[in-house]
Order: sequence, then structure tokens, then C-alpha cells
Amino acid sequence: MFSDYAALIVLLPVLAFVLTLFFGKKFPSGGAALPIAAIAGSFIISFGIFLEIYPHGTVQQSMQWFSTLNFGILIDPLAVVMLMMVSFVSLLIHIYAVGYMSHDTGKPRYFAETSLFTAAMLAVVLSDNILQFFMAWEVVGLCSYLLIGFWFHKPTAAAAAKKAFLVTRVGDVLFLAGIVLLYVNMTNILANTGFSLEPGNFMLQFKSMFAAIPYIAPTQLTIITLLFFGGAVGKSGQFPLHGWLPDAMEGPTTVSALIHAATMVTAGVYLVARTFPMFVEAPNALLVVAYVGGFTALFAATMGLVMNDIKRVLAYSTVSQLGYMMLALGTAGMVLGAKAVGISMFHLLSHAFFKALLFLCAGSVIHAVGTNDLREMGGLFGKMKITATTMFIAALALGGFGIPGLHIGTAGFFSKDAIIEGAYEYGHVTGDMIPYVFSIIAALLTSIYIFRLWFMAFSGKPRQDRHAHESPKVMTIPLIILALFALFFGFSQAGFYGYLETNFELMGVEIGVHEGEALHPSTLILWLPIIVGVLGLVISYLIYNRRILDMSRIVTRRNPVYQILLNRYYEPRLSSYVIGEKLTHGVVAMSGEFFDRKIIDGLVIDNIISRTLLSLGDVIKKLQTGVVRNYASVTLLGVGLLIILLRIGGM
Amino acid sequence: MALISLMILVPLLGAIIAFLTKTRQQARAVALIASVIPLVISLFLFTYFNRGVTAIQFYEAYPWIQSLGISLSFGIDGVSLPLVLLSTIIIPLTVIFAWGETEQANKFYGLILLELVGVLGVFTSLDFFVFYIFWEVVLIPMYFLISIWGGPRKDYAAIKFFIYTHVASLVMLLAIFTLYFNAFQVSGVLNFDMQYLLKSYSLIGSPLLKDVVFLGLLFGFLVKMPAVPFHTWLPDAHVEAPTAGSVILAALLLKMGGYGLFRVILPTLPFTASTGLLITLMAVIGVVSILYGTFLALAQRDLKKMVAYSSISHMGYVTLGAAALVPLSISGAMFQQFSHGLITGVLFMSCGVIQHSAGTRIIHELGGLAKHMPKLALVMMAGFMASLGLPGMSGFVAEFLVLVNSYFTLPTFVILALFSIVFTAAYHLWAMQRAMFGAYNEKLGHIHDGANYEIFAMGVLVLLVIYFGLNPGSVLNMMTANAEHLDRLLRFAVLRGVIT
Amino acid sequence: MSLYMYLLVAAIIFTIGAYGVMTQRNGIKILMCIELLLNASNLNLVAFSSFSGNATGQVFTLFSIAIAAAEAGIGFAILVALFRVRDTINLDNINILRW
Repeated sequence: MFSDYAALIVLLPVLAFVLTLFFGKKFPSGGAALPIAAIAGSFIISFGIFLEIYPHGTVQQSMQWFSTLNFGILIDPLAVVMLMMVSFVSLLIHIYAVGYMSHDTGKPRYFAETSLFTAAMLAVVLSDNILQFFMAWEVVGLCSYLLIGFWFHKPTAAAAAKKAFLVTRVGDVLFLAGIVLLYVNMTNILANTGFSLEPGNFMLQFKSMFAAIPYIAPTQLTIITLLFFGGAVGKSGQFPLHGWLPDAMEGPTTVSALIHAATMVTAGVYLVARTFPMFVEAPNALLVVAYVGGFTALFAATMGLVMNDIKRVLAYSTVSQLGYMMLALGTAGMVLGAKAVGISMFHLLSHAFFKALLFLCAGSVIHAVGTNDLREMGGLFGKMKITATTMFIAALALGGFGIPGLHIGTAGFFSKDAIIEGAYEYGHVTGDMIPYVFSIIAALLTSIYIFRLWFMAFSGKPRQDRHAHESPKVMTIPLIILALFALFFGFSQAGFYGYLETNFELMGVEIGVHEGEALHPSTLILWLPIIVGVLGLVISYLIYNRRILDMSRIVTRRNPVYQILLNRYYEPRLSSYVIGEKLTHGVVAMSGEFFDRKIIDGLVIDNIISRTLLSLGDVIKKLQTGVVRNYASVTLLGVGLLIILLRIGGM
Repeated sequence: MALISLMILVPLLGAIIAFLTKTRQQARAVALIASVIPLVISLFLFTYFNRGVTAIQFYEAYPWIQSLGISLSFGIDGVSLPLVLLSTIIIPLTVIFAWGETEQANKFYGLILLELVGVLGVFTSLDFFVFYIFWEVVLIPMYFLISIWGGPRKDYAAIKFFIYTHVASLVMLLAIFTLYFNAFQVSGVLNFDMQYLLKSYSLIGSPLLKDVVFLGLLFGFLVKMPAVPFHTWLPDAHVEAPTAGSVILAALLLKMGGYGLFRVILPTLPFTASTGLLITLMAVIGVVSILYGTFLALAQRDLKKMVAYSSISHMGYVTLGAAALVPLSISGAMFQQFSHGLITGVLFMSCGVIQHSAGTRIIHELGGLAKHMPKLALVMMAGFMASLGLPGMSGFVAEFLVLVNSYFTLPTFVILALFSIVFTAAYHLWAMQRAMFGAYNEKLGHIHDGANYEIFAMGVLVLLVIYFGLNPGSVLNMMTANAEHLDRLLRFAVLRGVIT
Repeated sequence: MSLYMYLLVAAIIFTIGAYGVMTQRNGIKILMCIELLLNASNLNLVAFSSFSGNATGQVFTLFSIAIAAAEAGIGFAILVALFRVRDTINLDNINILRW
């Protein structure tokens, strides 16, 4: 019964967007109730559909859009878990925002845009074809642009919004190029091989794409999947397109929470998971996914170590964790087959819970002390017990704390260990241990930076006198709910894997490789992640709480490593100044302008064509003397000549 | 029922009445009525048009100069109806947008109505001679719109516009006459009928003359579109033209060039002497226009000039899609014409509102306008997003169709065109950031939001852009039959061994 | 008298007129010379008409005379108006329309 209303999952928040945008002013707190009700509706429908289709069902609806393209809905296990997570986390963030945004005058605009943001992400999730996926994906990008630039009167916010849109746009163009190439391949296959679409199926539907995989040339498939991955790199903030994500902190904290947990950055991982059967057939692409993911996980974690803005630390943490998800798809995909999607998605979901929690806690802190700078915080534990506790839980989850032997632990423990194990098994099978090493070092750094953040904010003495206070209930209750998920979500692991494993079989795709299945890692390998996690906690405790080390001697202008990290490997300068301002605008655009104005208009039109015609005119105009007699003479002469010519011509 | 001639005559009559009115209230009322009636007629045509048929519909013909084979014949098919609809949508909205015009209002509205007469004539004439007359009729009111209501360098811009487009149309006229006399030599019949003359093209004896005639026609249309390197009149004309003039210029006049590509160029293309070369030439011009327009837009300081260059870039997709010669790429190019007409209207209207309120359009002299102009910010944002190809809006559908389907025949060019997408987003967002966002530039003093009638006109366009972005089929299904017909023509040419 | 006599007279009148148009500076004289040109051609028309027995030429001459009268009227009116403004009808001085 719920599956008949699947379209409402998207349409309800869209409706809420329109209503809130135009009539939000007339309602209390900027019409926040509209999107909250709509997203709650989306969640209820998603949950109802989950109950209906569990364990082996799908919902598929499709209608022609134009030509060979369609609009449609595909809810399979992969989509339904995402739908529930997105709508649920987004719902909590919306409720929290009622408190967080209570003093802002732009509330109707805020709630309208977040509602559209959620709708677009839900549309991404339940798309049944790659084009619709891309369209919704772009709307997600638009909403992130609007929300990051929500406080548009701040120049930094306007710049960050632009950067977010442009950097993800680079990925989007690759994605679009992938779709173009796929479309061309599909058309050629349909015309030239025995492959044909089942009646009622459309060309760019996922199931048609998967069915066509055997007919696509391997090199073409590799290029297509790499282009798709290019899109995912942009949206999920993977190296080298990661720079927009930390800058995106210019928006309200609730927006950061939405972007980082529920609605945007996970879309890239979801794209790779969604088109996973294609990636499996293109091992080279999968290898790229693994390496980019592994490198990003480590690379972003190093920057997380030194950031002083509480939200920036979390942003780099997100980049790093998304790297883990990509790593899982790449490494486990090669040795475990379809199980990789389960591993990656499980981390995606558990990350969504604890990252949303981290951001909302950070928001609560910022709301209380009025600054983002960790150096101005400290000693908040006594004043904000709920926030501090829930944030500690989230930090434990992010650090992956748990006990391997007993299967007890936080959500992050189950999800992250599975990824690291997957990377180990990949290394074991192929002999390539680099991704595994990356993932272990990144795990250590993760633990260090997140507890550094916690200790700097909550322990010790207040560094500045702030009248901090605990946030209102409308903000703390979502925190507690999310904390429960961060603690206990991990226990659903076994059922989750089992459920997602059937996903592609439901679509009629067999994913073969299972070499890693039989492996049983040694005890050390099982315990290593938690060991580095605890190590990180201890290091942070000693440095930032017990202060056994004077950080001010390390953290100086003279320390080149610190400078590089603090300047984020000079990526912002490179992308906006060198590439944006100098190269594109300064060199290419301005030389184009010069060519246009000076060469085409100046030289060719003005100097050559215009001048020639004018000087020709100067010569000829002398014939016009203004003396009537001359004209009469010339006329008569002409007539005379004409008569003579006619006589000669014999007429 | 003589619907089409009625559609042309009503604005003509309206223009005459508007010239004679005494007050601006009367003039604008006349203009609105005389432009809404054609809209009603074209909506009627849109509803009762028989889709999936390539033949001319709603045909009507009246003898005119029989001794020379000229007749007033009108009709529409899938190529022209979308543009007829576009014209009749744009002109009433332009009149509404310019509702507050005070300076010589009667002439202003009269000239706008004459533009409608001209473009409708161009899009519906089936006689080459009449087509040419309307083609020139469009030129004159635009010249006056620029040179009377224009900015500081209006004379320069108006004359440049006139010379460029007039030279182009004279070259085109020579080509038309060559076709005419060639057909006369072959058959002994004097006839200016467009289809007849286009069919007679293949009978031109000399291969050189064939290509010269083709290039003459192509030149006439490319200048109008405008395609690089014949484009420099456009930025100047736009910068100086009044807003209503710019809207009509970009939304309708440029489309005449694209219309010429589909109506005249594509049917003759298979029969030229060096077809392969000419296709490459068109593709190069298309891609160069896309990239060149994008980068030049990036270099502009004047908001309106930026939008003008973006038009060049977007019209490049039309040339590219036409050159690719795949049915859906041709449909995509036609749809791009329709879609760009709607989108560019919003963009130029936004520039007009900003100019009117802030007194300047130089981007770095603006800043933070969104704070004081929230309504404008909303519609302008929508327009900019549509222009940078956001899915869900009509520009995306058109560009997607062109890119995807051109890839079959012109893969390299498509890859080059894809590069422009990032930079297209870049200049739009850059302009948005500098002009609308950031701290409010206090030097601008107290400014007010756009008037309600201005926002209304823009809002309607935005809604149409979204409607046709989500439901492109309603317009595309008119075009596909004709596009496939053109494609069949081309395949026929391949069979004959004319092109490979 | 043969046709040629008429044609000869007409040719002489035409030549005188043409000579006048080319050499004279006074506007009135030029107008008078133009009248001579017209009348020369009228003479031809009447002569041809009379000798070929077809009245069309004579009708045409009447038409031409009427037009010539109108033309002369407008021409003199222009010269009078010009004289009021410029105090001269020497056409060599009336040349502001050249480049």
C-alpha cells in the first residue's frame, strides 16, 4: 500500500519547499512545521515500503519522459535503507534547526531550501535511471549552493558557495560525459548486437544498463565508470576535488550537518554503489576508486589534525570517512564482490548518524559560545552535559571503539573495522597492502583529531569567559536520539549485510568474485584498528588534557609541516587564485577579450574593412561636385554612350 | 480560416493605432491587446497542430506579383511553430515588462509590435521573396529601438547592428536570386516558392556555384545567430539597446538565424559539392562559438555584455546540433532555440531591472543587491540556473540532447563543448556572487526592488522554463517529425554517394 | 514636308536645350532649357504620330505638356523659395548637398 505512494517521498518535500518559500512568513518559526511534516511523511512512507518489501521485494514504477528516456522509481534494498536514513536524519536536523535558527530572520528561505535539498537527495536515491539520478544530483548541488551561501551578505559565504558549486561542477561534467558515452554505447549496442530492451524498459534505466554490460567493450566500460567516479569524486569531496567541502562550513551548522551526513556528500558513494555491477566488470576503475579513497582517507585526516575551526575539523573528518567508503567499494569490491556494497553502505549509514550528531553537537556548542574557534573554547563539560556526552559518544563511534572478540561496540566500530578488514583481505589476495596501510594510519589520525577536538572544547578551563549554557530541548532531543543510533546501530550489521547482498540479484545481475570470503584474519589484524584508536585517544588525552607537551613550540610559523597542513596543502590558493583568477580569468578570458575587441573589432572590422571602404568613399565622393551643369553633362554623355553602345550591339 | 495572416495583421494594425495614440496609457493598452491576440491564435495552433506530420499545416496563399511568381503564402510546420509560439509569448511579456515606459511611449510600443509582425512573417512565410521582406522588416524597428531609446553609444551600436545584419541579408538575397534564376533556367517557370527553390538547389550545374550559394545563405544566417567570428555586433547592440529591445533581439531575432539553418541550410546541405567539408565548417563554428562565448563572458565587467556573450555561447549549441545531422541532435538544437529564447528573456530583464534600480550594470560597482531586491534575486537566480544548464529547466534538456546525439557523428567536438560547462557555471556564479551577494555596496544608496509588472513578466518566463524543462515532450514532439524528415533527406544523400 | 524636317527641327531644339542645361548657371535659364528639351521630344511624338496615323503619340504629348507645366510650376516655386533664402539663383552656389 505504501509503495503506491512512493512518488510522494519526493513530492511532499517539494510541495513543502514551494509553500514555505512563498507562504512561510505567515507561519510561526518561518513555516518550519511544513518541511518537518513533509519529511516525516517521507520517512513514514519509506519505512512502510521497507516493511512491505522486506526481505526480497522491490518497487519499480516508470513512465516515459520523452523519446527513449523515462522518469521512474526504483526502490530496492540499497535504495530503501538510504531513503530511511536520509529522511530520518534530515527530519532530526530539521527539528534541531527550529531551535538553532530561531534568531535568524531568513527562516522561511532556510526551511524552504533545506526541504528542497532533502527532496533532491531523496530523488537521487530512488531514481531508476541514470539521467534522472543526474538531474536530481544537480538540484542537490544547487541547494548546497543556496544553503552554503545562506548568509549571502557575508563575502566568505558567497565565495564558499560559488566554490562548492564550481568544484562539484567539474565532477558533474565528468559524470555527464559518462552518461553521454553510456547513451552512445547503448544506442550502438541496441542497433548492432542482439541486445534488446525488455518491453516497458527504457534505455538509461539501471536495469537496462546492467543488462547491457556484457555487450559494452571493456575499455568503454572502464572509461564510463571512471567518468561516473569523477562525478562521485566531486560530490563526495574526494581528492583532488575535496577543497569545497571544508569551505562549505560558511553555511549554518545545520546545513553542514545535512550536507555531511544525510543529503549531499553520500550521493557520490551512492552513485558508485548504485552502478556497482559496472564497476565490478571494470577492475581498473575499481582500483582507481580504491586508491583515491584510501589516499583521501589519509590525506584529509592529516589536515583534520591542525584545524582550529571546530566545523573544519569535522569537515575533514567527513572527507576522510568518505574516503573509507570509497576504499571499501574499491578493495572489498575486488575480493568480496557484492558484499562490498553492504560494507560501504553500512559505514555510510553509521557515519550519517554519528556525523550528524557531531555537527549538531558542534552547532550546540557554537550556539552557546558564539564562536567556531576551538582555541577560544574549553571547559564546557560542566555547562553543557548533554552536548558533551553525546559528542563523546559520537567521537567514540567515529574512532571505531569496540571490542572485536565480543562483537560489542559503537556503530563506527562495526562499519569501519569491516572496511579495514576488507582492505586487508584485498591486500592478502593481491599482495597490495598500500590501501590497508593507508586505512590504518588514517584510523590513528582520526582518533587523534576527534579527541583533540573534544578535549579542547569540553575539558580543562575556559580559555575565554563565555556565558555558555545548555541548548533548549528541541535541540538536545535530536542529539540524544542520534547518540542512541551511534551507539547501537552497529548491532544490525549481520542483518544489514544479508539484506543488501541480495540487492543486485533482484536486478538480475550476478556479481561473481568471492575470493576473500574464506579468509579469517588473525587476531592482531582484528585488534589493530581498536589498538590504534585507543592509542589516538591516549595521545590526545596526554597532549590536550594533561599537556605533557607544549604544543606552542610545535605549532609555529617556522614549522613547515604545520604550515602546509594549516594552509591545507595550498589547495584553496591553487584552485581559486591560480586556476580561477589567474589562469582562467587572467590568461584565457582576458586574451579572448583582447582578441575580440582589438583583433576582430579593432583590426579587421575597424581598420581593414571600415577604413578601406571609407577611403574608397573619399575618392569617389569627389565626383559629386554639387554643380548641376556637371551632372547634366555627364547624364547626356551617358545617354549618348548608351545609344552608341546600342547601335553597336545592333538593336 | 486565415489564422496566420490574422496573427500577422493584428499586430500590424496595432502598431499603426499605437503610433496614433496620444497618451502612453492608450499606447500600452493597444500594445497589450494587439500582442495577446496573436498569443491566443498561436496557442490555438499549438493545440490543434497535427504532430508527427512533416507537411505544412494551416496553409494559406494569396497571389501577389504573379508575373514574377511571388505569392503571399503562409503556413507552419514543426520547425516554425515552436518559434511562432515563442514570439507570441515573448512580445506580450516584453510589453508588460516595459509597462512603465514614458519616453515617446506610442512609438516605443508601436515598434515592438512591428517586431512581432516581422518575426511572425519570417517564421511563417513560405515564399522566399516575402520571407526576405519580413527578414528586413525586423531590422528597421530594432534599429530605431536602439538608436532612440539606447544608451550613450547608441548611434554606434545601432549602425553597427544595421550594417552587419543588412550586409548579411544582402548576401543571402543574392544567393536567393541565384536559386531563383537557376530554377527559371532549368524549368522556365518563375517561382519564389521556398520549397520549390530549395528543391531546385541540387540542379545548379556548377559545383563551385553550388558551394557559393550555400555559403551565401549560411553567412546570412550565421551573422544573425550570431556565430563567431561574425558576432561582434551583438555585445555592442545589447549594451546600448533598451531592455525591451535586448529581450526581443536575443529571444527572437537571433532565432531567425537558427530557423534559417533548419529551414534552408539543412535541406540544401546534402546536395552541396563539398558536403563533408561544410559540415566540419559548421561544427567548428558551433564549437568555437560555444567556447569563445563562454570565455568572453568570463572576461566581461558589464552584466549585460556578459549575458550577450552567453547568448553567443548558447546559440553555438544550435549550430553544433544542426551540423551533427542526427534526428535528436537536430530536435535538440531546435529545442535549444526555443529554450534559449525563454531563458535569455529573464536574463536581460534582470539586467534591465538592475540598471533601472542601481543605475549601473558594471558588476564590481554592484554588490549585495539581494538584500534590497529579494524578488529580483529569486527570479534572477532561477534564470541564471536555467542558463547554466540546471536539470529540471529547459536549457538542460536542449543541451543534453545536442551533446548526447552529436556525439554519434562529431565526438571530438562534443568533448570540447563539454569543457565549456564548468566555465559557463563559473561566469554565472561569479556574476551572481559579485552583483547580488556579499556586502551591500552603500554607494548605491537606497534602491528598490523590481516593479510588480517586471517581476511578473520574469516570473512567467521562469515558470515556462521549468514547465518545458520537466515536460519538453510537448514542444519536442512537434520537432521530431521534421528532424527525422531532414535526417531522411541526409540518408538519401548518403545513398546517392553525395556525402560519406 | 518629310518627317525628317520635323525630326531635324526637334533635334536642333533639343541640342540648344542640352547646350543650355550644360552651360547656364542661372536656375531660370536652366529650367527654360529643360522646357526646350521636353518640347523637342513632344515635337517628335507629334511628328511620329501624325506620320504613322496613330493618335496615341498626340495624346501622350498632351499628357507630357501637362506634366511639364506642373514641373515648371514646382521648379519656379523652388527657385523663388531659394531666392528668398539665399538671395541668388545661381546654381553653382547652391551646392551644400555635395559631400
